[in-house]
Amino acid sequence: MGFKTTVAKLTAKSSYWLLHDILKRGGTSLPGKLAVKIDPTILKHIQQDFDLIVVTGTNGKTLTTALITRVLRAGDYDVITNPSGSNMIQGITGTLVTSKFKKNNGKRPIAVLEVDEANVALVASAIQPKMFVLTNIFRDQLDRYGEIYTTYDKIVSGIKYAPDAKVLANGDSPIFTRGDFKNPRIYFGFDHIQPQDYQSLTAPNNTDGILSPTDNSVLNYDFITYANLGKYRSHTDHFARPKLQYAVTSVDKLTPKYSEFTIDDTSLRIEIGGLYNIYNALSAFAVGREFNIAPEQIKSAFESNAQIFGRQEAINVDGKDVTIVLIKNPVGTNTVIDMMLTEPEPFSLMTLLNANYADGIDTSWIWDAEFEKLHTTKITAVATGGERYKDIQVRLKMAGFKDQAVYQDLNQIVTAIQKMPTKKVYIAATYTAMLQLRQQLSAAGYIKGGF
Amino acid sequence: MPQYTLNIAHLYGDLMNTYGDYGNIIALRYYAEQIDVTVKTTVISLDNTFKSADFDFVLFGGGQDYEQTIVAKDLKSKAAELQHYIENDGTLLAICGGFQLLGSHMIMADGQRVDGIGALDLYTINMHDSQVKVAKDARLTGNIVIKNNQTGEVYHGFENHQGRTFIGDQELALGTVISGNGNNGMDNHEGIIHRNVFGSYFHGPILTRNGNLAKRILATSLSQKYPDINWEDNLKQLPTESF
Repeated sequence: MGFKTTVAKLTAKSSYWLLHDILKRGGTSLPGKLAVKIDPTILKHIQQDFDLIVVTGTNGKTLTTALITRVLRAGDYDVITNPSGSNMIQGITGTLVTSKFKKNNGKRPIAVLEVDEANVALVASAIQPKMFVLTNIFRDQLDRYGEIYTTYDKIVSGIKYAPDAKVLANGDSPIFTRGDFKNPRIYFGFDHIQPQDYQSLTAPNNTDGILSPTDNSVLNYDFITYANLGKYRSHTDHFARPKLQYAVTSVDKLTPKYSEFTIDDTSLRIEIGGLYNIYNALSAFAVGREFNIAPEQIKSAFESNAQIFGRQEAINVDGKDVTIVLIKNPVGTNTVIDMMLTEPEPFSLMTLLNANYADGIDTSWIWDAEFEKLHTTKITAVATGGERYKDIQVRLKMAGFKDQAVYQDLNQIVTAIQKMPTKKVYIAATYTAMLQLRQQLSAAGYIKGGF
Repeated sequence: MPQYTLNIAHLYGDLMNTYGDYGNIIALRYYAEQIDVTVKTTVISLDNTFKSADFDFVLFGGGQDYEQTIVAKDLKSKAAELQHYIENDGTLLAICGGFQLLGSHMIMADGQRVDGIGALDLYTINMHDSQVKVAKDARLTGNIVIKNNQTGEVYHGFENHQGRTFIGDQELALGTVISGNGNNGMDNHEGIIHRNVFGSYFHGPILTRNGNLAKRILATSLSQKYPDINWEDNLKQLPTESF
């Protein structure tokens, strides 16, 4: 280790200590940024006395990473991981430089890192991953990420740095059959529909990635779970979904608050709604099994602590049961809408739209989210707001929700929640709108610990 | 009881659908329903036959590069009928990739040349071309405002394209750029109006954010089909969404 690296590490550690222990802030980006500034090659000099698992893809990275971490810890592995949002090179460097492995039980420790799609190659070129977990690739903030094949190419360029790493990928997503790398591929997916119930479907029109890589024909599906995910096949040749190593064999109950399902004979329950979250659990299950953790241990890892499902947050505002969900792209929003379709009670929906850099500066995507579907629920009231309140207001108006409370200023948001006519309130917000919302709720004392 | 129907063809609606362009159909339906017109939409994709007589309005949206090259090949089989539709004053809105494919040809980001149907006098080069003097090698991404010189209306949208499009001297632009880049960032033109064809790089989508244009396109489409009714007057009474 050179002098520069030593200084870089020390700087990162001391700035982390200052932020974390003295200022009580949770950042890893600043220490990482400082370290990278002093020694741009610092990641290459980190002692590789651990196995690295890279979790990447458009949606579900955070929960998948958290679940894998839990599962591996249940298997008595010493695991470090990065906090949500610290998934770029600076945050990752910060995490690796400032974290310590504690156990010494003979098992090689593991770093489970959520990595932004465009940062996979940067990480993998410095530290050889043992495994890549690919959740899905959907159209996401085109002004930042570009098209889905570009995103996938970036991930593939990272995989190529680690030719021996296992690639654990969502087999229901056709794009993951592409890519000219020779790594062993292990697929997980859904097999909850019996062959006699197969249909001949095509993906909904507002999804991407529906062409067969063999002859560019539009793929057919025996069943679709959501968007372009499902059991696909070409109607012109032999191209079809690859064999699944790990599969959801039945979906037993879907509610907005929890889901029950079975993976390869193990019945499981997760304390979060939405079919899409079952995919996250499935990938964590698959990783656990690959590390020889028993299904029963994985089950208890999922079920022993509900706190882990933090992204879809439930809070109480003066007796109102408020669920906050992040929305950032059409597929993600549609999965949130699907989750609301499982809500049996009357509810109100507040949708907050910002268009800052972190939200994506183009708001066009809201037109590919199918808010029209909500007419089949007991939705009672609709409110819209945020910096681009006009866009979301017109979107919902054109979806047939003519009466809306409109909040241009999120300063009134607590009052807005109190004014909703139902006990159940869903708030769907883009990233920076969610930060503003949390700030308001925190200032009013409804959530603890800042935002 | 609605007795009028607007039949919409969404050209390659399953492949050229990347930037929320479907919202244009939602906007047309929104205004149409208020004047008792029912909207029916059919996706015309790979291997489907496009029959111009079946449709009163055609939407041709933007897609990813890969899908666009596949669409360009298939489009050859529909080119004559599409040309026939356009020359018979059929109403069509083409956005981004759809706009490019109505021209003679385009050069993709990787240098690949893709032929369009040549219905309009326009062509597209890529951002790396030596002719590009503004934001060379970069996409043109951001909010855009233009002014339509026929009506004086101002349109708001979002552009996100690497291709640089040039329209012929005899063609009319949809508008003059007030802020943003438009067709190529250099000649201040945005989009095209050719007979009843409206081409543009605008996302947003254009008809959701610019109600005046939505009404104009709706009136044009309906007047072709039901010439005895004053659709413009009917639509004038409705509130216009513009933001």
